[in-house]
Amino acid sequence: MRRGILLIIPALLAGCDGRHNWLASAGAEAQRVEELFWVLLLGAAVIWSLVIGAAVYAHRRQVDPSLETQARRFILWGGAVFPTVVVGALLVWGLVILRDITSDEGDLTVRVDGERWWWRVIYETPEGDVVTANEIRLPVDRTALFRLTADDVIHSFWVPALGGKMDMIPGRETTLALTPIQTGNWGGLCAEYCGGAHALMRFDAIVMEQDAFDTWLAAEAEAAQVAGDDRGFEIFQEEGCGACHTIRGTDAQGPVGPDLTHLAAREKLGAGIYDMTPETMARWITDTHEMKPDIDMPPYPDLQGDRLDRLVAFLMSLD
Amino acid sequence: MRHGSDKQPRHFSAPGDAPRVIDQGSVWILVAAPSIWAAHFLLSYWVAAIWCAKTGPMASLFEPRWIIVALGLICTALIAWLGVIAVRRYGGVFVIFEEITDSSERGRDRFIGHVALLLCVLSVVAIGFTVIPGLVFATC
Repeated sequence: MRRGILLIIPALLAGCDGRHNWLASAGAEAQRVEELFWVLLLGAAVIWSLVIGAAVYAHRRQVDPSLETQARRFILWGGAVFPTVVVGALLVWGLVILRDITSDEGDLTVRVDGERWWWRVIYETPEGDVVTANEIRLPVDRTALFRLTADDVIHSFWVPALGGKMDMIPGRETTLALTPIQTGNWGGLCAEYCGGAHALMRFDAIVMEQDAFDTWLAAEAEAAQVAGDDRGFEIFQEEGCGACHTIRGTDAQGPVGPDLTHLAAREKLGAGIYDMTPETMARWITDTHEMKPDIDMPPYPDLQGDRLDRLVAFLMSLD
Repeated sequence: MRHGSDKQPRHFSAPGDAPRVIDQGSVWILVAAPSIWAAHFLLSYWVAAIWCAKTGPMASLFEPRWIIVALGLICTALIAWLGVIAVRRYGGVFVIFEEITDSSERGRDRFIGHVALLLCVLSVVAIGFTVIPGLVFATC
């Protein structure tokens, strides 16, 4: 039994590492929550040890009626006043953290709309909105203010390594401020059960140096470069894809699904769940519901051979 | 353990003489303090909710926070008044491990006074914990 537990521990601790690790200290807000966590954990360990120690001491010691008054005073201060003060202090500490991470100030503003089961992402810039989906890039050491909404049901926006989480509620807007302090590719996910493919509603939160971020955002703001006689784009339109998806710079202006203007520049397909490769793209088109159950996009199993290859090649050229 | 059972509280004329309504004494004094806390919680919630609904999601909470603090002070004063009644008229004492087992009118009054006093302290702490978020958050 003991050996079994020892064998399980490394496997469990392995879950504490990686891009979803909320103890990674990759964000200023996550770091503040982490500080509170360690103080709580260590404080609880000390108090637990003292209480158990006192119980053992009391059990072993002979009853001494002359210490009655002191014992009562100890219980009053140690059992009532001290916990009240500690809980009050922790309440203030937690509230101050909550106040700061829900502030409405940031160096850049990103609106994120939770959909079943993907993320519509809109960067607010002086030149206008830049629309993308399922991948959020942020500059390091800058506070990003997220304005969060939901289109259908309640979702929750969480990048554990950076901080959060915050509910996304239909009909109202919530805010979350995140300040990444480490570059890297951190995982984001929906933390509120929202239906069938909830566990597959993920995204990459890629933290970059400011210059690289500016270059990326400028590229993302550009329209797609699609040749008028691109056969892949013709197939895209013939199959009706443009009714749901937008490719800026073309006739495809569908507002329902994710914006595909720079689809191939993203690292993942299907809201953070598959690597962006021609093979996964082809499967996504023909076996959509095997790749991600219950989503609105219909599968196109009849799209095969040259037509499929050309469509995939076109989509993979949208970078 | 019994402590102070022979101590006669001030203004306490005779055993079992605790009055029959709050001001004149009864078991209602037990629920009075927690009820004041509950009322404060509800009123604070209403004030903040109505204020934020009328002024917008990021409006300043400066004005309603002082209403919540003022409500807190009024409620704390009411509870303090109840505490004084619990001590003076019921003979309640603030002692941990007070065990009152007198099977008499006087004993029952002292027990009620003691419990009412502890509930008063608990309710004041609870009101404090309700006021703190109002002071920390600057906006809706």
